[in-house]
Amino acid sequence: MLKKAASLILISLFAGMLSGCWDNRDINHRALPVTMGVSMKGDNYNVLLLIPEPVENTTRIRLVKGEGKTVTEAIDTISRDMESFVDMLHMKVVVFDKALAERGLMDSISGFMRARDISPKVIVVITDDEINQFFKRSQKTMAPEGTTLYDCFEKDAGWNPEIALTRVWEVYRSIHSYTRDVAIPIIQAGTKTMIEHNGSAIIKNGRMVGRISSEETLLMNAFSGESSYGKVEVMNHASVLIVSNTFRNSSKVVDRTPYMNSKIILKVSLLETRENTNADLIREELEKVLTLRCDAVIEKMKANEADVLGLGQFFRNKLPRNELQHWRTEYLPRLKMNFEVRTIIQNEGNLKMPS
Amino acid sequence: MNKSMHVITMYILSHLGFMFFVYPDNVISSTEEGHWVPILVGCIVHLLVIWTYMKGLSYFPGKNIIEIYSKAGRIASLLFLGPAALYIVGMIIVMIRAFSEIMTIVFLSNTPLWAIMAVKIGIMIYIASKGGEAIFRIGILIALLFLPVVMIMFFSSFQNVDWRYLFPLLTKDFSFLTRRSFYESFFAFGGGFLFLGFAQPHFSYSSKRVLISVLCVIPFFFLAAYVPLLTFGHATANTLHYPYIVTMDSVHVNWLMFDRLTMFFLLSLDAFLMLFLGLMLWMAICISKRYLPLFKSYHLGAISIIIFCVCLMIPEWEVVEKLFWWIAVLRIYVFLTVPISILLLGLRSKGKGIRKSA
Repeated sequence: MLKKAASLILISLFAGMLSGCWDNRDINHRALPVTMGVSMKGDNYNVLLLIPEPVENTTRIRLVKGEGKTVTEAIDTISRDMESFVDMLHMKVVVFDKALAERGLMDSISGFMRARDISPKVIVVITDDEINQFFKRSQKTMAPEGTTLYDCFEKDAGWNPEIALTRVWEVYRSIHSYTRDVAIPIIQAGTKTMIEHNGSAIIKNGRMVGRISSEETLLMNAFSGESSYGKVEVMNHASVLIVSNTFRNSSKVVDRTPYMNSKIILKVSLLETRENTNADLIREELEKVLTLRCDAVIEKMKANEADVLGLGQFFRNKLPRNELQHWRTEYLPRLKMNFEVRTIIQNEGNLKMPS
Repeated sequence: MNKSMHVITMYILSHLGFMFFVYPDNVISSTEEGHWVPILVGCIVHLLVIWTYMKGLSYFPGKNIIEIYSKAGRIASLLFLGPAALYIVGMIIVMIRAFSEIMTIVFLSNTPLWAIMAVKIGIMIYIASKGGEAIFRIGILIALLFLPVVMIMFFSSFQNVDWRYLFPLLTKDFSFLTRRSFYESFFAFGGGFLFLGFAQPHFSYSSKRVLISVLCVIPFFFLAAYVPLLTFGHATANTLHYPYIVTMDSVHVNWLMFDRLTMFFLLSLDAFLMLFLGLMLWMAICISKRYLPLFKSYHLGAISIIIFCVCLMIPEWEVVEKLFWWIAVLRIYVFLTVPISILLLGLRSKGKGIRKSA
């Protein structure tokens, strides 16, 4: 009997452990920022946080600032000054200043990966504006939930195939990888909409080295297997809607010169035409436009020695590892790339094609 | 009674339990390319050792290794069981300490280590106090509860895989044989096999079915190391402490209400580990009861207090890594001598039997 009672008491004591909490801060004492801005001022990091706070029946977006030698120190300063504890658990977007991106994101990104309080899934964005300006303006146009910026990059919300979508872990991979670089979307505060897209930044080893336009970003997304569905391509004689795209790539290395052949199969549906247009003309034109654009991207990649398309990946089975190490500097500039575009006009809409 | 199911489940759970933490890092840092070679070497050694061990045990139906060794004499017990017991206790210490550390890194950042370790040791003691039979039975329940979760998480970790990172495939570089991390990777291969020798009186099993389950687990050894490699590439994966956990962290599943899958994955694996540690503790107690009657009935308490104290005395990760290496050396000794000695003893007793009957 005594034993039973003792074990019952013991079991009920275990209930205390169930909460799993230690020094826990309740949710009403936490500030949960959704967006963070990072810039650099001299040797100090400048960190801005957008924190949605519930007031009465709606949410108010609060903008707080902090400065420190490291990003964490800046966040810590904010946490110290604020009445609640800053918890980065729900952070969704990190906005970097362009100047900082050009200087290099290596330290901050590695810091995020190391400390783990900022998830590796956070989306990375670069802004053309001065960062304080950007946050102030976007705070005004932002919907009260405070997640507008995130929604712009969410695949089932406002994302569009012309926007690069890059997460912290991908930038981290680019810092170390031999054959893979990334592009980060560049935005600025808009007048009517919250943000405007300005193409993407080419990031090489964690440092911004150049930029590509929105169209070129689309190509990059298509190449890496993201769907380009919904993009309207306008040419002189017609505009078409891209329905699907497939890439077939083959690669070889002859005499230390990499050769690559890329065949794009594009399915389009016709939207608008001008007079005297026929299918052949549209195909020809589309082919010309795309080839030109592809070549332009390749030229930029060669000039910056940055592999945003991840072409080096195709040579991983052709080159030994110690050669892959020099992929960006030795092989990429010598790459001979050949694009071939095949267009399939899947349908012509309700109207017959004029013949 | 044939209860292969219990033994197989225990085998699968314990190996899944610790292959996703330190093992991927060990494999990745053991060589620059062609990681399948060290993994394959590990798997073959693993298979051979288990086969030898079970072959040896099959000469002694219904007996566990303590009975076998004590029959063979004091020297044999001291030579083989002594290191094994030391290894088991050391392994428990390192696993408790390392896993608590991982938990603080991943999600319990405010909780002091001693509290996490105390809870873990408490659970482990409770499991061990119930004895071997209960442990094997609860294995089935835990498998039913957590194995589906682990499998879903495991397959979702393929999300960001880029298969081209598989290359370069071929390697002429066998320098991994001289690297420390290669031998440390045997943590995953050699950690759990000893229990097969303790299952016997209560749970007899068919060794063929155990071998089949070993073959089923082998792909996981490959994938645990290759999923991070294929996601990040070697150059990046090599900079990570727990490559698999980070890979899991980077998985983005839109329709799932949980933002961080890692926590569920870790907690499920934690259940496997707790069970396995309970089993290990029970084994250590069995050995100490037989050879150290000094403690009378306080073996469980004595060993757990020692474990907890040692865990508390480890201040930093560097010491854990040092311990890891010492244990790795001890493990290789246990890994090689125990199965072979059991096989030799088995062959000898068989020879005697034949002579007697002749």
